[in-house]
Amino acid sequence: MILLLLSCATDAEPALVALGNREQLIRLSVDLRGVHPSEEELLAIEADLDLYDQYVDRYLADPRFLDRVEEILNTRMLTRDGRTYFDPGQAGLVVSDADVADSVGDEPLKLARHIVDNDLPWSELVLADYTMADPVLAAMWDLEHEGEGWATARYRDGRPHAGVLTMTTTWLRYPSAGVNANRHRANAVSRILLCDDYLARPVSFERSQIDAITTGDPEQVIADTPTCQSCHSSLDPLAAHFFGFWWDTEDAGLDEGTLYRPEDENLWRDHADREPGFYGHPTADIQDLAGMIAEDPRFADCAVETFFEGLTQRRTTDADWEELALHRNAFSESNQHVKTLVRSIVLSPEYRARSTSDPELAERLVPVKTLGPHQLESVVEDITGYRWSFDGRGISDNAEGLAVLAGGIDSRDVVEGSHDPSVGLLSIQERLAWSAAHHVVGHDLDPARTEDAILLRYVTHETRPPDEAFEAQIRSLYVDVTGLPLAEEAREPALMAQLWTEVHTVNGDPDEAWATVLSVVLRDPHLLFY
Amino acid sequence: MTPTRRRLLQGAAAIWGATTFGAVTSRSARAARGPRKFLFLFASGGWDATPLDPKFGADGVSAVQGTDMDPQTSLGQVGNLSWSSGPDRPAMDRYFSRWNKATALCRGVNVHSAGHEAGMRWMMTGTSASSYADWPTTLAAFAGEDYPMPHVVFSGPAYAGTEGAALVRGGGGTLLELIDGSIVGRVDEPAPVAVSPVDTMADALVYERAAAFADQQSGLGRTRAEDLLATLDRTMELEGRRFEAGLGDTGSGFLDQCVMATEIMRLGLSRCAMVGIPGGWDTHGGNQNVGAQMDDFFTDLDALMTHLASTPGRDAAWLIDEVVIVATSELGRTPKFNGAMGRDHWPYTSMLLAGSGIQGDTVCGATDEGFIAYPVDLATGQVRDGGTTLGTEHIGTALLTLGGLDSEKHLPGVEPLRGVLR
Repeated sequence: MILLLLSCATDAEPALVALGNREQLIRLSVDLRGVHPSEEELLAIEADLDLYDQYVDRYLADPRFLDRVEEILNTRMLTRDGRTYFDPGQAGLVVSDADVADSVGDEPLKLARHIVDNDLPWSELVLADYTMADPVLAAMWDLEHEGEGWATARYRDGRPHAGVLTMTTTWLRYPSAGVNANRHRANAVSRILLCDDYLARPVSFERSQIDAITTGDPEQVIADTPTCQSCHSSLDPLAAHFFGFWWDTEDAGLDEGTLYRPEDENLWRDHADREPGFYGHPTADIQDLAGMIAEDPRFADCAVETFFEGLTQRRTTDADWEELALHRNAFSESNQHVKTLVRSIVLSPEYRARSTSDPELAERLVPVKTLGPHQLESVVEDITGYRWSFDGRGISDNAEGLAVLAGGIDSRDVVEGSHDPSVGLLSIQERLAWSAAHHVVGHDLDPARTEDAILLRYVTHETRPPDEAFEAQIRSLYVDVTGLPLAEEAREPALMAQLWTEVHTVNGDPDEAWATVLSVVLRDPHLLFY
Repeated sequence: MTPTRRRLLQGAAAIWGATTFGAVTSRSARAARGPRKFLFLFASGGWDATPLDPKFGADGVSAVQGTDMDPQTSLGQVGNLSWSSGPDRPAMDRYFSRWNKATALCRGVNVHSAGHEAGMRWMMTGTSASSYADWPTTLAAFAGEDYPMPHVVFSGPAYAGTEGAALVRGGGGTLLELIDGSIVGRVDEPAPVAVSPVDTMADALVYERAAAFADQQSGLGRTRAEDLLATLDRTMELEGRRFEAGLGDTGSGFLDQCVMATEIMRLGLSRCAMVGIPGGWDTHGGNQNVGAQMDDFFTDLDALMTHLASTPGRDAAWLIDEVVIVATSELGRTPKFNGAMGRDHWPYTSMLLAGSGIQGDTVCGATDEGFIAYPVDLATGQVRDGGTTLGTEHIGTALLTLGGLDSEKHLPGVEPLRGVLR
């Protein structure tokens, strides 16, 4: 069923055509939880689209939504880059580097999770007077921490706490070269929290200005040159806040390379000599800075942009302003409540659209979204019970570089994802489907099985096409895997019967025939696209 | 013409009766691959550009005021090309002695930034905007022909822009295992490797479902669905030709990856590839390692050029006549040493281009003693008062031109550096 949604135009032609009821719920569930809805949920929404609102709230309350929050914030923070920075043995840990890298990279992302899980305002990202840690990170960064899992924690080295602005992970990920005097860090703060990247601004200098930088004191030239000041007048005061984290990590030990140094806070005098400030407003310290960032309208705008892009798989442009303003209002009126923001986005007609008749919007709207590496892994695991892993690490861990091959990022060399179907992504889907199919067949057709079947509920080793059970099974597979029933007149049952027979003829093994059939269903475009 | 996987699928489909194969226009009507291929070599970290843009006094040894050269180095020169020669980098002497006629240097290339991320984006796309695909992706996506793996990134940067379907990232061992299916035997819960004809029959049904899906889409959804079809076709052809490529028989070192890249080009599987140049190039301290790293790089580059010159090409007598080598980095480094005998970030860098269509024994662009670029005439690449500061965008658009693309369509208003083209 195709429903016509709200039209912003006044003429009779609809601007947006909505997805079918089932497809809307699948999109919502995959975006918020990384799995398909249950068949019961799909049947319910098929009968009554008004239930969509209720499912939004249900899925926002699902713990898997918090995983998506982490994943989306990482596209800005880029801290899941697989680095440990230090030998964990220095902290007395006997754990794998991969485990340490997981904990290190997650420090800021777990704060985001904590914020959303506890319905705190997003400004807590910079205002939190604590950090987050698990036992591994607590040992690495010497934190006060209790419990076995992730929990709030505090640094013991006397540093002020200001959310991600005072996390060791943040400043190891964004170090500062000596002469650059924390400017790299200042730009990271601006890019991540305000969505304003100084380095994206084109630089154009007169030859005489470059000559002056080369022959004179660079800091003085920067201070005296209007072209330089167009960026440095705000960048340098921002950079002045971070000298307490002025580490030379090259060859440094764990303590030397991670401990906060209050005595270095005023080192800015020896570098750019620009007092700490935030766009013309003097600041007393890094916590003062955090307060100003939290109140800067760009901070809220950036949060809206981050979640909008994360959920819609498209980059925002000026043309999106009207749409973004709606979500921005909802976000602000809720005191920066992330679930309210996400709710606003996923309830919008654009989000629920299959297509548009507006040619301008058609240039921007992404009506077919592609599973990212995390989603591909979790959707297939949810359907089949099978997780593709290598020594325990899966696609979402970027094991074997699979996440990057599937269009994801490694947060270091590859920092922008791709949602286009590539050879890498399709190869992974094909091989994952093959492996998962064998897992299901091995389980479901085991004569000694005592648990419920995963997918093959209608057939046994003895079932052969054209048994009625065969067609029932094929139709059931498409519903289980794609969430979309086949049409009555669909040719798939007949084609699958041919495929099953061909494979069985070749090797005489019904298990192999079923695995082949199931692998084809798991490679369906309705699984990859949503 | 090599039989493609698609034909096998069509054959399989024909046996099974009418399907929707004919309903969707595939981009895979393959012709002989004529266009030049491009191999990008990237030194992440911002390499010291002085070895390719040396500053010595008239005697070729003495120092100049504005630039510190590495200790124990002196001017090396063959024809119009010069470099900093030294006992820690004999391979540079050897390379330029052998390949100067096939090699051009670009100097004083403005990357418009002193930051790694921005410089990398500028170098690879010619812009600071995130919506642009990088040069190799663009060359591969708009080749006018279809390749199973249009642009393979073995390592190094990748900017997909809106052409992600043309980009195969993370190339190397894992990709090969995915292509030949052997990866399913290596996972924690292994499965048997699929064998033809099972694989072929399954592929045919997947293709049919994808074609039907594409028929239901419109707008950008249709575009993405057609990308799916084209990519399915590429994937299936790769699977069918994996043995022909001999992939998997080579190692994982820099030279191995370069040779593998040129092999997949020779076989018509790819048009472009990116391989990261090993080494710690971000030398804020301890710049003395640069000589040895350059020596390693030029040793491999020499071997690669030898391979290209001695291997029959696909569309030309030898691979060297159809492959373009582009070696570059996202930044240059300061001309003077800092207190740690290192060099910090600098917005002007040097590039090396070699192979098909490159004007050999040529230097385009120049810097003064303080490593600041002189303006150039883009038509000749030579210094000219009132000319243009040579930028990444001018070289990138020259590469697009060399690849047969209209650069004006991809980066309007930017004049290509024609002086580097033969």
